[in-house]
Amino acid sequence: MRRPLEWLAAIVVVLIVASMPSSAQRGTALPSGSKPIPRAANGRPDLSGVWIAGGLALLFGEAEAEAIRKADAAAGRPPLPPPEPPPYKPEAEAIRQQYLARRGIDDPMARCLLSGVPRITVRPLPFEIIQLPGRIVILYEVHHAFRFIPTDGRPHPDDVEPSYLGDSVGHWEGDTLVVDVTSFNTNTWLAGVGSIHSDKLRVTERYTRDTHDTIVYEATMEDPEVLTKPWKQYATLRLRPGERIREYECLENNEDIVRFEKLLQTDPIFKKP
Amino acid sequence: MKTVFVLALGLILAATPLSGHHSFAAEYEADKPVTVSGTVSTILWANPHIYFTVDVKGEAGKVTQWRFEGYPPNMLIRQGWKRDVTLKPGMAITVSGWRSRLDPSHGAGRQVTFADGSKLWVGPPAGTGGQ
Repeated sequence: MRRPLEWLAAIVVVLIVASMPSSAQRGTALPSGSKPIPRAANGRPDLSGVWIAGGLALLFGEAEAEAIRKADAAAGRPPLPPPEPPPYKPEAEAIRQQYLARRGIDDPMARCLLSGVPRITVRPLPFEIIQLPGRIVILYEVHHAFRFIPTDGRPHPDDVEPSYLGDSVGHWEGDTLVVDVTSFNTNTWLAGVGSIHSDKLRVTERYTRDTHDTIVYEATMEDPEVLTKPWKQYATLRLRPGERIREYECLENNEDIVRFEKLLQTDPIFKKP
Repeated sequence: MKTVFVLALGLILAATPLSGHHSFAAEYEADKPVTVSGTVSTILWANPHIYFTVDVKGEAGKVTQWRFEGYPPNMLIRQGWKRDVTLKPGMAITVSGWRSRLDPSHGAGRQVTFADGSKLWVGPPAGTGGQ
């Protein structure tokens, strides 16, 4: 009885090792003594947990930020590519420049409107990934938003309405979860002031858990109406053990909206050209 | 000089796509820092930003009430703040931050220094996000 089980265990180990080249190709190494990447029953990395992106010092204070930077250095993690400006067509870039000149006062997020993808991922509030067989659920603290990401091979539904978060379907490529997101409305900014898009936007997200504590997040935005080529954004998502998603009702007391109205009426920089 | 500032502002806005912001530059002046000391009078512990007021005694005993915006409660909790404990009416504090473009006694709070000398962040750096 034991021999078949041992063989099965050996096969599982081989499959797990064989499915790990993506992290090896990245040139990253686990820090010594760190925990192994947890795996689901199908051998894929289990992304379940509470994660957060964003500026370290902003989120955790200087001391913890420094500790995380040291752990990154010890792990040999390469720095993420620097942010690049959106490769906009001239007409779209002109619109972005107008928004920049207006100092972000038009930001949909400042009015508590749901952020889209990928912006919602990099907001400085945590989200929880719940990985189930055939489906991944992401619960975002910000906006109380959620995404259902089928991973059972089904296509996008054919009756999808344009929406803030679009429609997501996922699949695995080695150790990387790849999520195809389509059917967006045009009410969101992609990744910064004035980063507009059309309803032709398609976002491909790649979630690669490269260590126990981190996911390398890569979002490729394609939009033939406003972009000249695909635009990529990267973030390091960090596991927050012991953290939980809390309530965050953005409209509770959003005084910004009132002040924006005053500024729009009184401040010359907001006069439309 | 103004051109340089606008260019610098553009670079800051363009270079911080991950900071998640709520239009800091529209409301506050990153080149006009402010520090005041006084007594905490009210605290509004609410989303998307907390607000608190500080009564600041000026010349001839005239009191000006300053009002500061800070992080949302969840971000303060994650940095160790406790509602009704960390900041209470009657406490003597010093607040540093940046001036509002609208109101001469309103600001974006960045750091609070307590009577025992300890310091805590209460809001985001200039030009970046809180929510």
